[in-house]
Amino acid sequence: MNPHATSWVRTQESGPKKSMVVLPDAASRIIKKAKKPTLVIGSKINDIDGLLDRVIALQKAGVEIVATGHSVKFLLEKGSDAYVIGVVEATNMLTDPNWKGIDGKGQPDLLMVMGVHLDLTNQTFSTLKNFTDLESMCIDRYYMPNATYSFPNITDDIHLEYLDDIIGKLQA
Amino acid sequence: MSVDKNKINIKKLKSPFLGMSDVEIEFGSVEEDWDEPMGPTPKPSMTDLREWDMKLLERYRPFYTPVCDMCCLCSFGKCDLTHGKKGACGIDVKTQQARMIALEVCIGTAAHGAHARHMLEHQIERKGRDFPIDMGLNIATEAPITRTVVGIKPKTLGDFEEALEYAEEQLQHVMGSLHTGNEGSYLDFESKAMHAGMLDNLVKEVGDLAQIVGYDFNRGDPEAPLVDIGMGTIDKTKPVILTIGHNVAGGAEIVSYTEEHGKADDIEICGICCTSHDLTRRTPRGKIIGPLSMQTRFIRSGAADVIVLDEQCVRTDLLEEAAKVKAPLLATNDKACHGLKDRTKDPVNDIINDLVSGKEKAVLVFDPVKVGEIAVRVAEAVAPTRQKFKVIPSKEELVAEAKRCVECEECQRACPVNLHISEAMALAAKGKLEKLSELRDLCVGCVRCESACPKGIPVLSLLEKAAEKKLKEEKSKIRTGRGPILDTEIRNVGPPIVFGEIPGVLALAGCSNYPNGAKEVAEIAEEFIKRNYIVTSSGCAAMGMAQYKDENGETLFEKYPGDFDSGCLTNVGSCLSNAHILGAAIKIPAIFARRNLRGNFEEIADYILNRVGAVGLVWGTYSQKALAISTGLNRWGIPVILGPSGSKYRRLYMGRKDQEKDWEIFNARTGDRVTVDPTPGHLTYVAESKEECIVAIARLVMRPNDTVKGRMIKLAHYIDLHKKYMGKGPDDLHLYIRTEADIPMNVKDETKKMLKKMKWKEKIIPDPTLVERLVWKKEAKE
Repeated sequence: MNPHATSWVRTQESGPKKSMVVLPDAASRIIKKAKKPTLVIGSKINDIDGLLDRVIALQKAGVEIVATGHSVKFLLEKGSDAYVIGVVEATNMLTDPNWKGIDGKGQPDLLMVMGVHLDLTNQTFSTLKNFTDLESMCIDRYYMPNATYSFPNITDDIHLEYLDDIIGKLQA
Repeated sequence: MSVDKNKINIKKLKSPFLGMSDVEIEFGSVEEDWDEPMGPTPKPSMTDLREWDMKLLERYRPFYTPVCDMCCLCSFGKCDLTHGKKGACGIDVKTQQARMIALEVCIGTAAHGAHARHMLEHQIERKGRDFPIDMGLNIATEAPITRTVVGIKPKTLGDFEEALEYAEEQLQHVMGSLHTGNEGSYLDFESKAMHAGMLDNLVKEVGDLAQIVGYDFNRGDPEAPLVDIGMGTIDKTKPVILTIGHNVAGGAEIVSYTEEHGKADDIEICGICCTSHDLTRRTPRGKIIGPLSMQTRFIRSGAADVIVLDEQCVRTDLLEEAAKVKAPLLATNDKACHGLKDRTKDPVNDIINDLVSGKEKAVLVFDPVKVGEIAVRVAEAVAPTRQKFKVIPSKEELVAEAKRCVECEECQRACPVNLHISEAMALAAKGKLEKLSELRDLCVGCVRCESACPKGIPVLSLLEKAAEKKLKEEKSKIRTGRGPILDTEIRNVGPPIVFGEIPGVLALAGCSNYPNGAKEVAEIAEEFIKRNYIVTSSGCAAMGMAQYKDENGETLFEKYPGDFDSGCLTNVGSCLSNAHILGAAIKIPAIFARRNLRGNFEEIADYILNRVGAVGLVWGTYSQKALAISTGLNRWGIPVILGPSGSKYRRLYMGRKDQEKDWEIFNARTGDRVTVDPTPGHLTYVAESKEECIVAIARLVMRPNDTVKGRMIKLAHYIDLHKKYMGKGPDDLHLYIRTEADIPMNVKDETKKMLKKMKWKEKIIPDPTLVERLVWKKEAKE
C-alpha cells in the first residue's frame, strides 16, 4: 500500500470507498480526457506563493476555474477572473443532474479542488461521491479520501512541481 | 387552605351558608386573564407542524455532506451505504445522514432541556412554585417562545413545569423515531430534527427565565455593566475559584457564600464558557476567562486554586489536568459525575478536610449550597500552599522540548484548524518563539496535538509559554448578559426591520472552534455594526469578540451601546439566553403587527421567514447544542450561516436561486400564487472565509416583504460588501431587484443597462405567505 495514501487529517476516511492516488502523469491524462474539466479554488489559494500563478496557467490551458470563498479577489488582482459561487452552493447544484452548469453550457465531467478549507474540501468530495456520478480529483497537497482521485500528501514545493508538470503536459 | 399546582385543599371551611372539611378540589390548567385566542397548534405534536416543515424543505432542500458513509447503530452493521447502497434495515445514506442529524439535535436539546429542568427545580426549591415571573415594566411579552409553542402565558415559576413536561415528552417521541426500523424518509427525519430544534429554543427560554427571576438577573437593561474578561484580569494574590460549564447553580452559591461571610473582596471567582456569563449576571465582580477553548490552558497556568465543574462542553479530562496543578476539583452535576463518589450527604467539614489534605483530589457534590461553602473554604485553605503551582514550562524547558520534535507533522494532522505546528516547533528549537506565539491566537484548545505527538511533547503548554507576555496583557471588557430584548425596543425597531430600513439583524452565537481565531468574529460584527445593522451576541461568540481590542484598546462592547437597535451590540448572555434573540424576532409580529402568538407557530414562523431580516451566525461550530439552536431557528424561518467546520454537521438547508418555481408564494392580499425574489436564499449555509461570510450575511437578510426603500438599502450594502471583499460586484444582483425602484442610486445607470441586457422583468412585491389559510381574501376569491 502506498504509505502516502492515508488521509492528511487522520480521521477523514468516511467509509470503504477511498480515492485513488494519482501523480502528475495520471492526473494530466485524466484532465485531458475530460470534456469540461473544472477547478474549484478556495480562499486558501493565496496562502502559498505561486499557487495562484499555477491556477491561471491551468485556466489558460483550458481548465474552467470556479472561485469559491473570496478567492476571486486574488484572481482579479492578477488580472484574471472566474465564476463566483460558494463551494457548498456549487456542490449542491452538482447533485442535480438537470443543472445546466455555472455557465449555462453544461456541468463539468471532472471537478478538481484546490485551496479550499480542508474540512470543506473533503466534505465536498463526500457529497460528490455519494450523490453524483461525477469524477472528482484533489490536486491540493493533501490526500483527500473522498475524491475519486487524489494527490498523495506532499510538501508545498513538490505540490508546485506537480502542478507545473501537469500544466506542461496540458500545454504539450 | 393550601394551594398546590391545579389543586386546592380545604382543611376546614365554616360560613353562614356552607361548612366543609378536608375537601380537595382539582381543576385543569387555567389562563383566566389572557384573552388572546388559542391558535391551531398549542403544544404541537411531532407531526402537527410537519406540513410547515415540508413547505420549508421543498424550497430549502437538505444538502448532505456525509461524515461517515456507514451506519454502525445496530449489530447488523457496520453497513456500507456509499453511493446508493442500502443497509440491512433498508436505510440509504441520505436517510441515515438525516437520522444522525436528528439524533445530534436531540442530544443538544436534551442538554439544554436537562439544564433548564435542573435550574427550574432549583429555583422552585429556593423561591417556591408561586414565585412570579416578573420581567419588569418594559417586558410584557415575558416568554414569547413559550406563548407561541405551548400556548400558555407563564405567571409563576411553577407554570414553566408545563412547558418542560411538554418538551420532555416530545423529545422522547423524536428519539423513538430514531430507532432502527422506524422512520424511513430523510425529509421526515428533517422535520423531526426541526421539531427537536424548536423544543431546544423553548427549553432555553424556560431555563433562562427561571434563572433571571430566581437570581434576580438583569431584565433586559441595555446598559448592563461592563465586566472583566481575559486571563490577565485575574488577581492571583487572592484564592481563585474557577467554574467551568453552563449551569451557574454552584457558581451562584459560591458568590452567595462569599457575600454572606464578608469575603466578597477576598476571593477571586471566575469562569470559562457560559457559566461565566451567568456568573457575571449574578455579580459584576465575577470574571470571565474566556470561551471553552480556555479550559486546559488556564488550568495549566496554575491560577485556579479550586476548580468547579458543572455541565456541557466541559472537557472530560479535567480531573487529570487539575491533579497536575494540585488544584482540588468539585464535580457538581449529575450529567457529569466523572466516576467520583457522591459526597453530597457527607458533612461539609469532612469533605473540606479530604480535599485540603489531599486525601481526595476531587469530589462529587450535587447540593449547590454545599458547593458554595466547600469551594470557598477549600480555596482559602489551599491557596497559600499551592502557590499557584503551574505546569507551563520555562523558556529553557520549552526549547528543550522543541528540540525533541522530529517534525513528523502528526500534530498538524490532528489539529482541527491545520496549524503548522511542526514549523513553529523547529523555530522554537532555535529559541525563536514568535511563530509558536502566533499559533496560540489561532489554537482552539482541543489538545489533540498532544495526544497525536509520538514524542509526548506538551504542545499546548509550549504555546502558552511562548505567548506568556501577551497572556499577561489579555485583559478586556465585555458587557454582562442583559437577558431579553425589551418590548419598548421592539416597538422602535419592529417597523424599520419589517420594511427593511434597518438592513438586518445579525445574531452571533456558537462555540470557539474558529477557522482563524476569534478576531474574525469581532471583525464580522463590527462590519455590520458600522453599517447600522442590529448586532446581537451570546455565549462563546460574545466572549470571542470581547477578546479583541482596537488600536485604542477598546472592545466592541466598550465602543458600541448595548441596545437592540441599529448600530448597537447586545450581549444577551449564555447559550440559554440566546433564546431571547429568537424571542425578539417573535415579538416583532406580536408587538408591531399584532399577530397572536398563542399556539400559533406556523403564522409566526411564516411572518419571520418573509419579513424579519434576521440571520444567525455560528462561526465556530462544535457542539450538538449549536446544531439544535441552528435547526430550531431554521424552523422559525431564520437562516443560519456556519463556519467551515459546520460542514461536518453534514446537512445544510439550501435554496436554489436558479429554480424560479421554488420561490412561489401566496400573495396574502389576493390569494394569487406569485413568484418572488429568492429571499432568503438559504436556511443553512456554510461560508468558507470571513469575507464570504460577510457577503452572505448581506444577501441573506433580504426578505420578499422589503419595501423598495428597504431593499435599496440592503442592496447597497450587498453590492458594497461584495466589491470590498470579492473585488467586484455580485453577478446575481438582477435576482434581487424586483422593481427599478429597488436599485441603489449610486449604481442605477449601470444596473439598468445590465437588466436590459438580461431581459429582466419586474416582479410583484406581494404580501408574502407560504400558508394558504393566511390569505386575507381567500373566501372572496373562491
